[in-house]
Amino acid sequence: MKAPSVIAAQVGKYTVLSIGVFIMVLPFIWMLSTSFKPSAEILTWPPEFIPRHFTMENFKTVFVTAPFVRFFFNSVLMAGVCTVSVLLTSSLAGYVFAKFKFPGRDFLFILVLATAMVPFETYMIPLYLSMVKLHVVNTFAGLVAPYLIMSYGIFFMRQNVIATIPDEIIDASRIDGASELTIFLKIIFPMLKGTAGALSIFAFMQTWAAFIWPLIITSSRDLWTMELGLGMFQYRFTVDLGPINAGSMLSILPVLAVFLLMRRNIVRGITMTGLKG
Amino acid sequence: MPPPFAFSRQGGRMNRMEYKKRVFAYSAILPVLAIFIFLRIMPIFQNFLYSFFNSTVVNPTNDFAGLQNYIDLFTDTLFLVSLRNTTLFAVCVTVFSVSIALFLALLLSGKTSLGGLYETLYFLPVITPMVPVAVVWKWIYDPTYGLLNYFLSWFGVKPLGWLVYPDLAIWSIIIMSVWKVIGYNMVIFLVGIREIPDSYIEAAMIDGANRLQIFRYVILPLLKPIFLFVMVISTINAYNVFTQVFIMTSGPQGAPGNAVRTLVFDIYENAFRYFKTGYAAAEAVILFLIVLALTVAQLKSGGKKE
Amino acid sequence: MKRLVLSLVCISALLFLAGESVSAGGSGETSKGPVKLSVWGGFPEMEAYYKYAAEEYKKVKPNVEVTVLTHPLREFEQKLSATIPSDTAADIIEISMYANQKFIEAGLIPELPAKVKDFFSVSGRYSDFAKANNTYKGKFYGLPIFQGRTALFWNKKMFQEAGLSGPPKTFAEMAEYAKKLAKYDGGGTLTRSGHSLRISGQGSGVAEKFWFVLYPMGGTVIEEGKEKGKYHAGYANDAGRKALKYYIDALYADKWDNHSMKHDADAFELEMTAMFFRESWVIGDIAKKAPNLSYDTATVPSDSRWARITNPVNLYVTRSSKNQEAAWDFAMFLNDPKNLLWLLDNVGWLPVRQDIDLSPVIAKKPQMKAFALNDPKYMEFGYVGIAPFDEIMTKLAERLVSAYLDKSLADNPAALAKTIEAAANETNEILKKAKLYSE
Repeated sequence: MKAPSVIAAQVGKYTVLSIGVFIMVLPFIWMLSTSFKPSAEILTWPPEFIPRHFTMENFKTVFVTAPFVRFFFNSVLMAGVCTVSVLLTSSLAGYVFAKFKFPGRDFLFILVLATAMVPFETYMIPLYLSMVKLHVVNTFAGLVAPYLIMSYGIFFMRQNVIATIPDEIIDASRIDGASELTIFLKIIFPMLKGTAGALSIFAFMQTWAAFIWPLIITSSRDLWTMELGLGMFQYRFTVDLGPINAGSMLSILPVLAVFLLMRRNIVRGITMTGLKG
Repeated sequence: MPPPFAFSRQGGRMNRMEYKKRVFAYSAILPVLAIFIFLRIMPIFQNFLYSFFNSTVVNPTNDFAGLQNYIDLFTDTLFLVSLRNTTLFAVCVTVFSVSIALFLALLLSGKTSLGGLYETLYFLPVITPMVPVAVVWKWIYDPTYGLLNYFLSWFGVKPLGWLVYPDLAIWSIIIMSVWKVIGYNMVIFLVGIREIPDSYIEAAMIDGANRLQIFRYVILPLLKPIFLFVMVISTINAYNVFTQVFIMTSGPQGAPGNAVRTLVFDIYENAFRYFKTGYAAAEAVILFLIVLALTVAQLKSGGKKE
Repeated sequence: MKRLVLSLVCISALLFLAGESVSAGGSGETSKGPVKLSVWGGFPEMEAYYKYAAEEYKKVKPNVEVTVLTHPLREFEQKLSATIPSDTAADIIEISMYANQKFIEAGLIPELPAKVKDFFSVSGRYSDFAKANNTYKGKFYGLPIFQGRTALFWNKKMFQEAGLSGPPKTFAEMAEYAKKLAKYDGGGTLTRSGHSLRISGQGSGVAEKFWFVLYPMGGTVIEEGKEKGKYHAGYANDAGRKALKYYIDALYADKWDNHSMKHDADAFELEMTAMFFRESWVIGDIAKKAPNLSYDTATVPSDSRWARITNPVNLYVTRSSKNQEAAWDFAMFLNDPKNLLWLLDNVGWLPVRQDIDLSPVIAKKPQMKAFALNDPKYMEFGYVGIAPFDEIMTKLAERLVSAYLDKSLADNPAALAKTIEAAANETNEILKKAKLYSE
């Protein structure tokens, strides 16, 4: 029998969580229902949650207006490549910033972090001009370039390394004769599973949602991503709500899939129970 | 024999291990740094240069102006309004989103039935694209039929013009921004909390500590680096707010522009509506310096020197 | 562990190469084979028209392949800022003159070649306003394609119920009708606005809609000064004060619109307003979202002048295009009467070209009549082709938004005059800074 205070705490906990979820999810429910509404019904006032005439018209419009399957594929490719790249660069750099002392370390770290403090739109034109010089305009390389690294990624890795990896482990391995690279690959990287999982989600999400850069760097629809495709429903003075919501629903799915996949890693990070003998 | 430059700070030659460590550190950092320089630092620096000219998009290094852009900024009411709004926005969004996210993460870190479902649903706003989100929130805030006023009417509160009146409008966007970002912070905290070894918490419970004490003396200290991370990136992101402000003020039902004017919005207008590239670049530099100062302050006060 | 890392690296390398093979080649390079033309636009709803025209063009010139990219306008203008100066833009871009102004002034946009100039100059083909709009320092730039012209939308059922026989002909009538058409509930809250005003939101929209009222009343945003090619604020006068009073009275004296109401096309489609000003695209929107709405359009009411705003959009061939002649040919094809009729019918934007018979479409969609009407007494006005114009409009809009929220301006002509004066001073300051001021 649970103590009444425990039950009360549990009830309290689930009530709070559920109210929170309701607030979180409400807009999403509206979006979902709008995807299935015909145009004449979308503009009701006050807005209704349940479509009176369920229709797949909006989804059809999405696929007919432009090659959305291609866009989807491009987005997945782009986000996939960038996520891997961010993971690798962030873990390595984050580890080094966390556990190694060398002259200029703090300055370089602040420098890396500082690049996240400047809004992208202020330097995207000079960046574009560099891309022009390298002849990677309208290429996949040009498309993914800015997303191959992530300051927050390095910062995140660094903080997690500091929080979860004791120096003793590393020193012990060094004394045992392991090379630095081995230490990184065999000891550090496996201990960062949870962090890597979270970082994958964030990197994937950020790359997936990219809009202005893909728009500027591409000059052919073959390279378009899903977000750019959805922009086709943003007319000059109105937004075509049906297709945009339908398309947004589709666009959320891969990110959600990555989240669910990586969640397993986040659930249990590797706990340290002390130095092995 | 290690090369002569491999001297440690304590004087004398470094031993082999120190040398290997240095080599690894540099060879790991340098490639990443090189990419950063090309993709971020160089273009940022170019933009920084433009701030000293009366640049236009077409001719960025056209008309040298020295510090004139910076001086003009401080007498520009729009810039000052943006500064004030952005600071208010950043403080509120950071404080609320971080604290609520931490609270939620603590709730969910224990054994929770359907914990995975809750986590996923809390994360949904983060991955939902901004355009449909803005449409829904404009409805939520509608004075006549909005959901918010509807709920408040149960408590006898009269309908408010959430996006209509300047004083309310900024709070409306703060609420919406907190809503959008809580899930993100929550996931980060969950990672941090779950990496705390169970044994520590069990040991504290055996010692008789209650939940609050466990939180204060076990979890919080171990969570410090993560907490710092969340604070810093929340601050940076909040200062850089743009998309939701742009969309919520767009169109005929849009909120009054100046009431929710933020720095990046002002920079965007100066750069792309008025084509004053140099002026906008100077503004970006000031934004950068503010955020840098706050970040360094947070890092210094939060982390101990490694 | 090493294996995992190695495989991760291999996977991403493979993906990267896959991506590279996916990327497209350059645009519009001349080769012995088909000619490729690329078109970039800032109006996603025009996509359908360009697709249609490209297919029709293939029938005439089978070796020309046209590809189209349309983007939301704000990002499109940013894209042009990056691509035009670096000569990496498409062959043809569709954009308004004033958005292109800075590039024209910088010499980055070639003027119309002789053949197109002749096409453009045919008498009666394009209005004097359109011709003047595309002139800079005596040369022509850009071939117009469609325009956003304003008319008055009015709800027939509501007018009938209120005992009004037809749309207002003057602004005085308009205010009177709006008062009659406004509806309130038991508690005195407005449930239907008499006329939906544009009183909030960022950008220059609020100033543009203010101009709809200001211009007929005799004022304008900027007018030419003593020195040709230089300007000063055109609303620090009775007309400006009268126009602002029109709004303030609407909001606080006669109360036939307010900030809590829904506005614009949405409101009209939901029958929450009896009248509003907008462009021709609304006709298609209403057909989709409120097909049973009983409405019609009318010309803008007059005051001391009879006028409506016109925002033409042009086609420009960029200097980096490797197929300039082919590009201009396609641009002229886009102006073919048959194609323009398709445009009006299917997309809803009004062609700029005046020497075409629009009656087949007007027969199907009678509400188009008010837009297509060309009367020598019905004046046109629009954005002025100077670089700081957008700034002038945006800053004026911001002041107006604040003014509309200010109850104290009602019945306070002194305060109202001060507001106008302050705004006009700001406009003049902007002109002075750009060295374009003249009294």
